[in-house]
Amino acid sequence: MDFDIRPYNLAAGSTSWLIVIGVMLAIAVGLAFALSVARNGATGLKVFSSGLAGYLGDIFSLSPSRIFALTKLTLLEAIRRKALFVFVGFAVLLMFSGWYLSDSNERPELQVQVHVTFLLTAIAWLLLPAVIFLSCWALPEDIRIRSLHTVVTKPARRIEIVIGRMLGMSLVTLFVLFGMGAVGYFWINRMIPAESRGELTCRVPVFGELYFISPEGQPSAAGINVGDVWAYRSHIVGNSQARAVWNFANINEAAMIRKEVSTGVADATEIAEGLQLECRFEAFRTIKGSEKSIRLGVQAQYTLSDNPREEAFGMLSQGEALRAVADALRDAQFENASKLMTELAERIRTAPDELRPADYVGLQQGLSLASSVLKSRKDKRLADVPELFEASAVAGFSVISTLRNNAVGNKTDPVPYEGLAAALDSVAKGLADNAAGLLESLPKLEVPLPAFHISEYHEGADENLTFIPRKLRFAADYETQGRFLAAVMEEWNAASKLAEGNALKATLADDLANGAKISPLNAELLVTVLQEQLTAGVLKCDAGKLSVADGRSWFTVLDSLIRAEKLIAQDSEGWMIEKDLLKDLTKDGFLRVEVACLNDQMYLGMARPDLFIRKPDRAFFVGYSKALLNISLMLLLIIVLGVTVSCIVKGPVALFFTLTFFIVGQFFHDFMMRKLTGAEQGMGTLESAVLIAQHRNPQVGMDVSSTTQSVLQGADKGLEGILWGFSKIVPDFTVFNRGSVFVENGFDVPFKEAVIPAIAVFLGFLVPCILLAGALLKFRELEAK
Amino acid sequence: MSNFNSRQRKIMYGILIVLLLGPIVYLGFPAQQIAGGADAGGLGKLAQMRSRYDLGEATLGKVDPSSSAMNLVLLGLRGPAASVLHLQAIEYQEKKQWAKLRATVDSIILLQPHYVQIWKFQGWNLAYNVSREWDKVDDRFYWVKEGIKFLIEGTVRNNTIPILFHNVGEFVSSKMGISDEKKFFREFFREDPDPKFDTSTGVHGPDPAINEKGLDSYLVARDWFIRANEKDENDGMAGVKGMTHVFFRQGPVKAQISYAETRAKEGFFTDHQAEWEKGYREWMDVYGKYDFLGLNEKKYKLNSTEDELKVLAKENGIKVSEQRKLWDQNVTMVNYNFWRDYANVERDPAMLEVHKAFFDAKQAYLEGKATEGFDKETNTVIASKAQVMLETAMDLWLEVQKKYPVMFEDDRYIGEAMLMVKYWQAVHTLNARPIPGEYKLKSLWDSQSVNKQLEIERDFLMETRARKLK
Repeated sequence: MDFDIRPYNLAAGSTSWLIVIGVMLAIAVGLAFALSVARNGATGLKVFSSGLAGYLGDIFSLSPSRIFALTKLTLLEAIRRKALFVFVGFAVLLMFSGWYLSDSNERPELQVQVHVTFLLTAIAWLLLPAVIFLSCWALPEDIRIRSLHTVVTKPARRIEIVIGRMLGMSLVTLFVLFGMGAVGYFWINRMIPAESRGELTCRVPVFGELYFISPEGQPSAAGINVGDVWAYRSHIVGNSQARAVWNFANINEAAMIRKEVSTGVADATEIAEGLQLECRFEAFRTIKGSEKSIRLGVQAQYTLSDNPREEAFGMLSQGEALRAVADALRDAQFENASKLMTELAERIRTAPDELRPADYVGLQQGLSLASSVLKSRKDKRLADVPELFEASAVAGFSVISTLRNNAVGNKTDPVPYEGLAAALDSVAKGLADNAAGLLESLPKLEVPLPAFHISEYHEGADENLTFIPRKLRFAADYETQGRFLAAVMEEWNAASKLAEGNALKATLADDLANGAKISPLNAELLVTVLQEQLTAGVLKCDAGKLSVADGRSWFTVLDSLIRAEKLIAQDSEGWMIEKDLLKDLTKDGFLRVEVACLNDQMYLGMARPDLFIRKPDRAFFVGYSKALLNISLMLLLIIVLGVTVSCIVKGPVALFFTLTFFIVGQFFHDFMMRKLTGAEQGMGTLESAVLIAQHRNPQVGMDVSSTTQSVLQGADKGLEGILWGFSKIVPDFTVFNRGSVFVENGFDVPFKEAVIPAIAVFLGFLVPCILLAGALLKFRELEAK
Repeated sequence: MSNFNSRQRKIMYGILIVLLLGPIVYLGFPAQQIAGGADAGGLGKLAQMRSRYDLGEATLGKVDPSSSAMNLVLLGLRGPAASVLHLQAIEYQEKKQWAKLRATVDSIILLQPHYVQIWKFQGWNLAYNVSREWDKVDDRFYWVKEGIKFLIEGTVRNNTIPILFHNVGEFVSSKMGISDEKKFFREFFREDPDPKFDTSTGVHGPDPAINEKGLDSYLVARDWFIRANEKDENDGMAGVKGMTHVFFRQGPVKAQISYAETRAKEGFFTDHQAEWEKGYREWMDVYGKYDFLGLNEKKYKLNSTEDELKVLAKENGIKVSEQRKLWDQNVTMVNYNFWRDYANVERDPAMLEVHKAFFDAKQAYLEGKATEGFDKETNTVIASKAQVMLETAMDLWLEVQKKYPVMFEDDRYIGEAMLMVKYWQAVHTLNARPIPGEYKLKSLWDSQSVNKQLEIERDFLMETRARKLK
């Protein structure tokens, strides 16, 4: 898959549409008035107003029955003109397509793609010429042979003729398209071999947002470029800290699938609920690797995580100078972070120039993000730390804005470094004072899933599918183990299940094994350690309640015991813990998935759509229908354009006009937009022409006087203005292909990304085109052939 | 014209049509319609010329109706259409859309079925460039096969072009024999990992499209080289387009030599001597005795005696010294004498003994038979099986070296002897014994550069650490 299609911004599109329509309407009315005055002199205003009134009257007195009659006539005419013959071409193509498509690829997933692409392309491209001819020739031909004269003498309004024409041709086109679609559907089912039919499906994906973490732990928008010409995918290096991080939104029960999984006991299976991940990663090796890896492929591993510390402090590691602080904060070493923050404040105070301006920007952004993430948690244990971060972000902003002003205005205003240093000192103090609260309120939960070998370019292969059961059992790391045991201690202590009188309960180990899902061996170890701590006076037992002697939290005590390696798991599995995928790992519908490459000196390449959550599949028919809907909208738009243009010019001119619109909109729209937005490098038209003529490159520039240069560049600006205007009236025909792209790649066609844009573009042109066509036909002289 | 009425004009058009149609029918009549043989008259003139100059579709190779239909439909726009398809193919390749690339390449071939360079280029592209884009070795093999199959299709459509046949041999020989993945590819060539080719007993079988009989890759390559040479025979002594003739003709014998060489490396010694003998004889009597045309169209034979040089000089109308120079240049260019001597040494039964002894010794080492024993009765150390076998191999190597001292200065023999030493040293290290001050091949080991010793060290590690994944 090679596309990264974003949801369509309907609101922004509609606003832009209203502005363009408003401007064009104003121009049209103004122009009509000017022409009327120029042609009729003093009576121009009267002629104009009566014409406008008549036109508006036509619009508001549209008659469905007259439109229906005209539609019927158009239908009959199209059939008489043998428009349906296009069916024959389609049938011939399908009959002989086997010659061209058969056994070109033996692999199932490749076969499906080739056949679906062929079918959708054939439908669109076979109908296209027929539709263009039909829409562009019909009206001029009627005018030429004067058959339209008989129609206009009837009570029919001219705008009704336009609508009737458009409707009639659209119905013929839709009829043919429906026929082709139905035949094509059966054809594709027949052509795809039985073993490949499983691939003929519509995945329903949930795409996430992707960012990367560099091998040094720094977040970045892109990974490593391994030298591919096509910079679509970014790579992460194996056996390092580098990660690709996806955040999926709206993860809830609806995203779950049910799947038969092994229970781990003999061949027994059970139906489990969970999420299905599908990846399409690319592998890149700088070494051949072991025989095993050559045969099985590069290894990857997913880690599901809920890590508020990474969210809050990850951004701080942007600058080299700040990385140590960021690392300490991410590792929950808040006291250490406090010291490092103080050192940083001191450095800013005494030698501010040691930090680059970019470091200050990174610091400000990091502080700002930390403040907003911490605030959003609304946790009292965080005390005033979020506000302290916010104050330091404000101080940081003053520093960077002064630095920017000084740089831009060549000024030497004093930079408020002292303010920033003081704010950082406050943050440092806040971190030190609230270290325990921060540690408890910012829990990190990471669930590593079993490693797997990717199967490169085998889209949908079993190796690339990972089922994540909703109930996750995994070996916990130190922090998770500490939090889990602390929660058990607190809960059991509250229910007086830990102690009896002044001693631990005699059956505590068995109780923990049965009631807290701790393995018997680990439960026994835990009780032994608790007893030791009781004896040592760290814990105390009073009236059936066990508590920490010095008032520290259970988590603090257990965490220190775990880090002192007193609670090393006694059974081979480790401290196995169960978590719920939706309740424990998904926060506000967001699920974070980190991807790591496990092989040294090997890379995994990925783009945003390369990892997605696969909801239950839909039938191929669903996506196929939506792709056909998009194609039909494209054809209808061509009819609308063709009919509109043919209201004022002759058939051949209308044909070339419509064809040009289509070719520009289909093949050059992207280039045009890139040129206008500056994404496409290069000079203007005239400047480029001169450079070509002078055999000079853009870096050297033109060999002309500065005056000529200014004139040419000014003229280029003018031409760019024309291009800008043109870009507003040429439809982006590529939106209609989006449906096909999804289906070809085995996906359902999503409404937001593919169907709505197509409908919006069609409607966006339909309304103004009907109005324009109605006006053009109304005010033209039919005898002027 | 305007003086004629409509009816008269129509009659005139009709007459003109018939007049113009006449010569077309006359010239374009099918050749088989000619009575009394092809030269009987002008009837079927174009067909005769097509046949005479081998320009007919059928004489160039198999005719594909879809290709002809496509060309007809495009009404002369074949060039632009092919160009667009080429650009598309490049884009698909950049964007890693392999299915579309393959389909586009097939379409290009429908348009340009007799454009040899496209077959060569796209065959190479699929087998070499596309295959390496894939990560897993099974997939790489699949695309290598795609490239080879594509080229085979090229030979079917263009069965008069020797270079395409030669290329198939070259692809099979080099991809299976010397690529990075050769260890897997040689195995896959006979036992394809694709379950589609599994035999009825459930074991992997070969892909019949490239290896119908399940033969060794070098033998299949050899068959293609032989066919290429047969096609080349049609042109007499003239060279082949796309390759120097003297290199082109050595395809079969080089494949034979590689076959014998590789089989020994893999530990198959049955018929070893016979295969080398076959290679030697072919090098001397077939390839060596072939009449090549050298500079200024002068004839020469690579394996020429003094008398033959004189005869050829006379035939070419040049001095014997000039003939010798011509001969010498070409002999040097193809390194003829080296391959002759190499095959000569290898066909010696004594050489077989060396290889076999060393291979068995290596096997003993890899099977863990390198630990020495202890005889309690005699209170003596019993040397390990691997050590004894390695020492035997060293003895045999020294014996043959005496017989072929010059040839044994070649890197491949020196390398083999050094590897013996490396294994032998490893056996000592394994048993915690110091390397003795003197041993059989010490002077040879010491005479080599440190770099060479390190290279052998690396080869040793690669051989001993490689474990076949089952």
